[in-house]
Parts: sequence; C-alpha cells; structure tokens
Amino acid sequence: MATTGQEEFTLDTAAELAAKEGGSQIQGKSPWVLAGRRMRRNYVSLAFLGIFLLIVISCLLAPLYVSQVSHIPQNDVRTGATVVEHGKTVNVISQGGTKIVNGVPQIVFGGVPIGAQWGAAGGKYVLGADELGRDVGTRLLYGGRNSLFIGVTSAAICTTLSVVLALLAGYFGGIVDWIISRFFDLVWAFPVVLLGIALGTALSVNGFHHGPINVSSGSLWIPIGVISFVFIPYIGRPLRGQVLALRNREFIEAATAQGAGPVRIMFSELLPNVASSVLVLFTLIVANSILTEVGLSFLGAGVQLPNPSWGTMIQEGSKLLSTAPQISLFPGIAIALTVLSLNVFGDGLRDALDPRAKIRIEHG
Amino acid sequence: MRRKRGISVAIAAVVAAGLALVASGCGGGGSSGSNNSTAAPAGKTFPTLKVAWGTTDYFDPGLSYRLESWQLFQDVYLGLVVKAHVSCQTDNCTKIEPGLATTTGTVTDGGKNFKFTLRKGIKYSNGEPVKASDFKATIIRDFKLNSPGIGFFSNIVGVDACEANPTSCSDISGIVTDDKAGTVEIKLKTPESDFLYVLSIPFTAVVPASTPQKDTENPPPAAAGPYYITNYNPSKSFTVKRNPYWKKNEIPAVPNGNPDTIQGTMTDDESQSAQLVASGQAMYDENVLPVDRLAFYKKKYSDQIKFFTTPSTYYFFMNQQLAPFNNLKARQAVNYAIDRQQLVNLRGGLGVPTWNFLPPSYPQYKKITPTPYPYDLQKAKQLVQQSGTAGQKVTIYTISDVAVDLSTGEYLQSQLNKIGWKATLKPIAGANYFTIVGNQSTKAQIGFTDWFEDYPYPSDWFNILLNGEHIKPVHNNNYGNVNIKSLNKEIDRLDSLPPSEALSASTNSAWAKVDKAFSDNAATVPYLNGILTSFFSSQMNVACDIFTDSQDDPAQFCLK
Repeated sequence: MATTGQEEFTLDTAAELAAKEGGSQIQGKSPWVLAGRRMRRNYVSLAFLGIFLLIVISCLLAPLYVSQVSHIPQNDVRTGATVVEHGKTVNVISQGGTKIVNGVPQIVFGGVPIGAQWGAAGGKYVLGADELGRDVGTRLLYGGRNSLFIGVTSAAICTTLSVVLALLAGYFGGIVDWIISRFFDLVWAFPVVLLGIALGTALSVNGFHHGPINVSSGSLWIPIGVISFVFIPYIGRPLRGQVLALRNREFIEAATAQGAGPVRIMFSELLPNVASSVLVLFTLIVANSILTEVGLSFLGAGVQLPNPSWGTMIQEGSKLLSTAPQISLFPGIAIALTVLSLNVFGDGLRDALDPRAKIRIEHG
Repeated sequence: MRRKRGISVAIAAVVAAGLALVASGCGGGGSSGSNNSTAAPAGKTFPTLKVAWGTTDYFDPGLSYRLESWQLFQDVYLGLVVKAHVSCQTDNCTKIEPGLATTTGTVTDGGKNFKFTLRKGIKYSNGEPVKASDFKATIIRDFKLNSPGIGFFSNIVGVDACEANPTSCSDISGIVTDDKAGTVEIKLKTPESDFLYVLSIPFTAVVPASTPQKDTENPPPAAAGPYYITNYNPSKSFTVKRNPYWKKNEIPAVPNGNPDTIQGTMTDDESQSAQLVASGQAMYDENVLPVDRLAFYKKKYSDQIKFFTTPSTYYFFMNQQLAPFNNLKARQAVNYAIDRQQLVNLRGGLGVPTWNFLPPSYPQYKKITPTPYPYDLQKAKQLVQQSGTAGQKVTIYTISDVAVDLSTGEYLQSQLNKIGWKATLKPIAGANYFTIVGNQSTKAQIGFTDWFEDYPYPSDWFNILLNGEHIKPVHNNNYGNVNIKSLNKEIDRLDSLPPSEALSASTNSAWAKVDKAFSDNAATVPYLNGILTSFFSSQMNVACDIFTDSQDDPAQFCLK
C-alpha cells in the first residue's frame, strides 16, 4: 500500500489523541451497557418492573401464606364452616332453608359467601370466601402462580420456537421460507382466542396422548402448549423480516467466506443481531400469554377446576357479582396490574435497547 | 325429561291428591270432564302478553323434550287426553281430563285395550278437521322423526317393526282408527299402569296427518288447541296467536285463554331475562331468577314473584359396573359424605334436601325415616377404608357451562378427596353432557344428573332411570347402570298393573318400598328437589297465575 506520509486516522487514534490532551480514555460501550444506562433512567419502567416482581414474589410465597396466615388450602371446600369475626361466630356461606307451607315454599335465601375480613377473622378469609367457602386470598396467590407460570413458560416456548422458525425462514429463503411463512399465515388467520378455545377445549377433554407424550386433561401443560402455539406467528413474522434484512449484509457474507456453516451463521451471527427484538417481544408476549390464559380459563379451556387461575376465579365469581364481588374483583385487579406492569416495562425495555424500533405485538 | 341446560327449570309441581287415573281406569265409560277443572281466576282478555322465555330444542311436538316447549304446548297441542289446567297448589293438577276425546277412554281386556271417541267439529289452526286417523299418523310421524318419545310406545301392539327401523315406520297394527265413527283404539301388549299419562304428553299430541314427516319449525305444525304458534325464530323469538277455529269452551278442560297474542323473547341469560321484566319490557320471566339476585328481587318485587316446588330430583349417579362403585360400602360412603343442605345453598336456597329418589309431591312418596344417610364424613371415611377402595382414582362428570352444576361437581370432588379417593373433575358442555355420560364407552364413574317428570307416575322415574332391563349402550338414562334383578321385577310388575290398580293404596305402598330399596342399596345420591320462580311485571295480576303440571300456564295470565 502506498503511504501518504501521514498516519491513518481511526477511532483508536482519536481516543489516543484525546488521552494525550489530558482527557480521560474513551472506552467503547456495548449496546447492552448503553441499554442498561437508558433503562436505569426510565423510572416509570423500573417502578412497574418492581410491581411485577412484587406480584411474582407474593405468588411464590403462597404456601407460606397458607401455613402462616389463612390455614386454608387452596382447594379446601368449607361450605358449612364458621369463622369467629370480632368474637362473633358467622357462617362462611350464609345458610338458607325452605319450609313448605300449604304447598308454597317459604324460602330463606342462602349461599352468599362472606366478604373480605381484612384480618378480623384471624387471617382467615382476608379477601373473603368464594361460593364453596374457599379462601379467596389463598386462591388468588395460587391462581397467580398458575397464571404466571403458564404465561411465562408459554411465552418462553413460543419465543424459542418462533426464533428458530424465523432464522430458518430468513436464512434459507426459498421453499423453506415459503413453507414457514405459510404456516405463520395459517395460524395468523385464526383469531387467537378462537383458536385457543378450539385447541384448549379439544385437549382438555381427553388430554394429549401421542407417542411418548402423555399429558392428562387437567395438566397445566395443555394451556401452555395451546398458548405457545397460537402466538408463534406474532413473534415469528417480525423476526423473519429482520433476519431477511440481515441475511444479505456484509458481515454474513464475510462469515460465509470464512467457511461458517448455516447453523453457526444463524445462531452466532444473525441471532445476536435480533436479540434485542427477541427480548422485547418476549416481555410483551408474556403479558399477552397471561391474558390469553385468563381468557381460556374463563371459558373453561385453560386451567381445569378446581385448580385456581385468575381466569377461573373470575369465571366462578361472575355469577355472584352483586353479592360477593370480591371473588372476581381481586383476580381482576391482579391481572390488570400484572399486564400493565409487563407492558410498561416491555415498552421501556424496547426504548432502552433500540429507541428507533417499532416493535409491537399486533393481533390478527 | 331433562331440564334445560343453563337455567334450572322444572316441569310442574304435583300435589299428592288422588289421581284421575282411578276414575278413568277400568271398565266403564271413563270420565267426561267438567268445567270445574278450568278453575282459572276471573281474567279478561287482553291483546298482547310479552314474555321472556328460555331457549329450547324444538317447537315441534314430535321432537321437543324440553320444558320450555312443553310449557307453551299445554295451550297449543292437545292429545286425546290432557293434564288438568289447574293449580298444583290448590287443586289436583295431576288429574287426566278428556282432551280431543270425549272421555278419558274406555279400558277393556284387563287394561290392554283403550278406546276413545273424538269430539266432533274440532279443527286445527289451519282449518283442517281433527280426524281419528291423525292420531295414528302422529305416532308414525314420531317414529319417522326418530323422536325421543318413541320409547313410550314400545308396549303398543305391532310397533316392533317401527322400533327396529323408526324412519321406515309405515303402520302400527295396534292402533285402529275410524274417521267416520271418530274412534281411536289402542291395543297394548301388556297392561300399562301409566298409559293414560303417556297419552297426555306432547309426543302424543295430535297433529294433522298432512304435517311434513320431518322437523317442522317455522311455522311449527298446526295445532288443535286454543292457540297456535305462528312464528318461531330459534333461540330468539316466537309468536303465539289464538287458533281462529277454536270455539269457546269446546274442550272444558282446556281454558280459552286471556291474551290474544303471546310474544316471546328467548334468552338463557337469567339476569337479562329478569331485567326485561323489571323494566317492563316483558310481563313474565320464564327463566329462574339469578341466584345472586334472589334476595334483591324478592325484596324489591315481593308481590310479583312466586316460588314453586317441582317434581324433580337432583342426584349423583354412581356406576355400579365400575370400581369403586360396584361396592355397596363405597356407594354408602358417598351418600354419607354429601351435606345436602350445602348443595341447596349453592342454588341460593332454591331446593329442598332429600334422601328419597321420588319427589315428595307424589302420592307414592314416603319419606325414608330415619334419615338414611345423615352427613357424616367420619363414617364415610371408614366405609371407604372398609370397602378396600381407598386411594382409587375417581373421575367426576359434571356440566361445565352451568355455574351451579360446576360448583356442585367441585363440591363432590372435594368430598370424595376428603374421604379417601383421588377425585378429578371432568366438566362437559351441557349440550353434549347427557349424550356423553349416557354412552357406555365413556365409562363415567360418578357424576351430576337430575330428572324432571314427564308425567306424574313413579314408573317415569324408576322404570326409565333405575330399571336394569333398560340399560343401553348409548343414550342410556340409567347412568349408574343400576341393575338389581329383584327391583327390576318389581318395577315391571307395578308398571304392568291395569290402570284401575295404578293408584291403589297397596300399589302406592309398593312404589314407596321400591324407593326405600334403592336407598338401601345406595343406588344413587339424591340430594334435593328443585324450586323455581315465576316473576311478573307490575302490570300483571299475579293471582291469575296457575302453576299447572306443565308450569305456569300463560293462557291464564291476566292483567291487573
């Protein structure tokens, strides 16, 4: 190479010059560190992350709540039980009765569960009872464990599958891309809830028994599987687009020239470049998965009774809304807080990782 | 009859007074009915009755097996005989009265031959005259439709070919009609104590022979009663109008009716239904009031609501062909583990705890004393241990889309887990529930069910639900596969008594013993008899409400 007599000016030489002039050494920051910095300055996002973590920790401590506070297991039916409220014995479920007088029934209405005790009953029924005398507080926490477990696990499975499919479609193109894209289109064509109900109902009748996979009808893995499946195109399609755009970039050509195989290119070159999008989509899909689980459980196609989830609790309380609103109200609040916190945090994460990105979960 | 899914509604209450069968029974000419039976309070005709009504299966009398239709049919479709349109609380509503026939029939040949003569001059709503041959055509049409009611006709002579291949049914030799003389003669293979009741249900309500031999819904078949259904929009609405060919008081047992038109808005949403009446948009709510609003409505509209006990029993079946319920001690354990009052509470108080299978409104009912299975969880646990079935897996079937049925299933699951089994719940949508649990391949171990009478005689309970001879591979009503040979024999004996003996003291006592024997065998877990509500708008005169054997009679409603 011919020289010009002058030293070539690069970013490194710029950093050295700055150091010589008495400034501090300029250090390269990775995108993740920069994102962390931006995230730390987004107090609203962090506050909602705190709320989400608080909900998660509370739900994880459900067994402790039962053993130390309520002393009523999650599925324990206590229709005829009583509690001492401010020294007075009251029925957990109001007791009705019917007398037949001259052929006409004289009815004393019953069946109304007690409301929130807030501690007046020695830790029992803090948030009231449901129609079967079960402790709403206990079921709220255990229901949260189920809802969160399903939401997070299905989001993780869905994201993993979507990433693999998007990488395959984007990298190989051609017939592979066509097949995977049509699969995305096919699943996308069905409304999420409708497809979820159809699959959830079918699987919750007899479970899933094919080859070595045996899942019983009441298993949490059924709603997990259903939700994982229905959301695949919602992550897969935007990621495929990004991979397609990256596929023809120079660094991929360079990697190919160096003899890197498809697997290495996909997972070592392409994946790190879409990782920030994957992370943001994951947080947003968790919220959507929780909402879908709630919807499916409400409709009887998700978590199977008597196991609680926030959806089943709302469904069970819906017939007693006017007399025992606590059964539906508290899980409703929990769902709203969880989804709101995840969405606000997800938005903050997106802004931090790539302020120019416009990643959204769009329902078909 | 099954109640509708979605709302607990029953067929009517029954009083224990003596039944008309005795009068109509043997030998002589049968009763001719009287004007006294239409004991409706004085009401005036009015143009339109707007009602909120539950959805139903069909509005074709050959096909419908739901109370929502039968309640309306009582004023629309008439049989040779009819159930009295009188209050079950103040009168004998189980009485059978002459309908299209002049009397309740002449019974000869030891109860095997029934002969009726039609009234003259009666016309259907389409103007066709009612003919004797229409009765035979109606029964054949039922077979062609593969009606759920064809099982009621299996004792008629010459019906075998139709039973073997219902849709190809063309003749039944045991039904002989003469249009000229207006006579209908029905020959039975053996005497049948409840046959007159069978002739009063909608499956035997006479429709013109020209009625298409297929589901006929819009409009439904022409009717011979005081009203006919002019329009039916399934699950949405219906309209009922006066039969233009009905002559006033031409059938004494059937009221002429007060409203000129009945307009129905159909919904299974109990809250919506009640709100329609509360807001004055409807004048009568056929659905039951929502459980959580019972106290509110009762307080606010106390003068507009009535409660009625119903001839119904809610019970759990236990499959005696499958473990653990092939063991008597296991079945007894379930009976001890159920606190009946708590299951009544789940229905907001709309029920009366019971341990009998037969409802208390029957003259054959005898309360089993002392209470056979008082709530005793400890004893239930011991029995499970003694049965050697502790730790076994038990699957409980219940209805998923009726909240209270689902809660009932959850309650049962909790109790079975408490006494030592590993119980899981299998909720199934109401639309398919009875088909699934009634299919032997399902192998349903235990589950929720209920029964509302088709007609007020014990054979409608024991023969259909607990007679082992009627166990079928599919569409089985004996979900528990109860098959006790001695009781099968006794049910058959009582069922084949001539009508003259059907309601004798000794027969009633024998039925009560059958009830007790099933209880001793812990064949089922009966837990409550249902109560239902009637809610009227402020413009209606509630005193006119006649709760007949087919529930509130809309024809007799009147304004204030």
